[in-house]
Amino acid sequence: MARGGDESAFAEIVRRYSPRVFRVASRFFRRRAEVEEASQEVFLKAFTQLDSYEGRGSLEGWLTRIATNTCLNMLRSAKRRPELTTSDLSEDQSTWLESHLAGAAIERQREAERGEVAADLAERLLETLSPDDRLVLTLVDGEEVSIKEVAESTGWSESKVKVRAFRARRRMREGLEKLLGGARTTRAESAKSAGER
Amino acid sequence: MRDEHIIDILESAPFAALSAAEMERIREHTRACADCERAYEAARLASVLIGERAAATFEPPPFFQTRVMAAWRERQAASQQWTFSRVWKATGALVASMAASVVLLASVTFFAPANTLQTDTAFVSYPYSTDEAIIAQDLQFEDEMTYGDVLTTIYESTEEAAR
Repeated sequence: MARGGDESAFAEIVRRYSPRVFRVASRFFRRRAEVEEASQEVFLKAFTQLDSYEGRGSLEGWLTRIATNTCLNMLRSAKRRPELTTSDLSEDQSTWLESHLAGAAIERQREAERGEVAADLAERLLETLSPDDRLVLTLVDGEEVSIKEVAESTGWSESKVKVRAFRARRRMREGLEKLLGGARTTRAESAKSAGER
Repeated sequence: MRDEHIIDILESAPFAALSAAEMERIREHTRACADCERAYEAARLASVLIGERAAATFEPPPFFQTRVMAAWRERQAASQQWTFSRVWKATGALVASMAASVVLLASVTFFAPANTLQTDTAFVSYPYSTDEAIIAQDLQFEDEMTYGDVLTTIYESTEEAAR
């Protein structure tokens, strides 16, 4: 029905699959407005390309592929941050890192708050990666999606996904190591100045 | 040197998916290696951060469906308008080029110099059929000298020179 241009069928597709499309877009964008914009673009693209859907796989899978590619392209066209330094972090983010270094201090923070800060910090680190690396890392390490599934949703080979994941882990770890080094220095300096007082 | 340590293990799989044996090897190694300990700590935190980031998803707002449908209608209307304007422009261009061709032909017909026209007319009115072309070709060959004629002409001119 939707292929014939039936609006109510289109509306039903949006109603049924928008949670799924939002979840995919959320992997790429941290701000709600960006997620909404990307999701809307996914549906508009899907309606335009509905003739190319052969009905072999599920409609959800087909929409997921469109969503992944649309978001990847949007991210590719956006400017990427080359590097993240300690001075770029907000106070909350620095505190999160420092408290993780201190160990048990993290328990003092409320769960929701902690999650928000961590997600923001993760986003900032992910922004330094290429869109492809970011996608693989979020899917494989964050959502425990199998290599095979990632390969299917992106159209890449499994070996490409593996190599990307390996490289992305390295970049993420190196970026974080650098930040932790900065946080350690800040913590040592503040401990020193507190001792002097 | 660092790459020979536990870094490859940390990067070969998601941190949460590392086996007990691999974790034991990492722990044992990081007790003695400060660099690897830092790498391990960063990998562990990266895993926590990515997990938190993956969990931070948005739900569609209540009027999302209405918004998408409005955007769809708008885009369709824009595309129809675009198609119409393209057809309109193409028609305009076609009419303009046809008018220009008519003007050009008219100017060539009425304002070209008279002698040129005469020459052209003479050329055009020259009787020229396939048969005539073949006959003309034969006549041409008849006019040409044969091999014998050439030899005779050469020897005659040599004898004359000798005399």
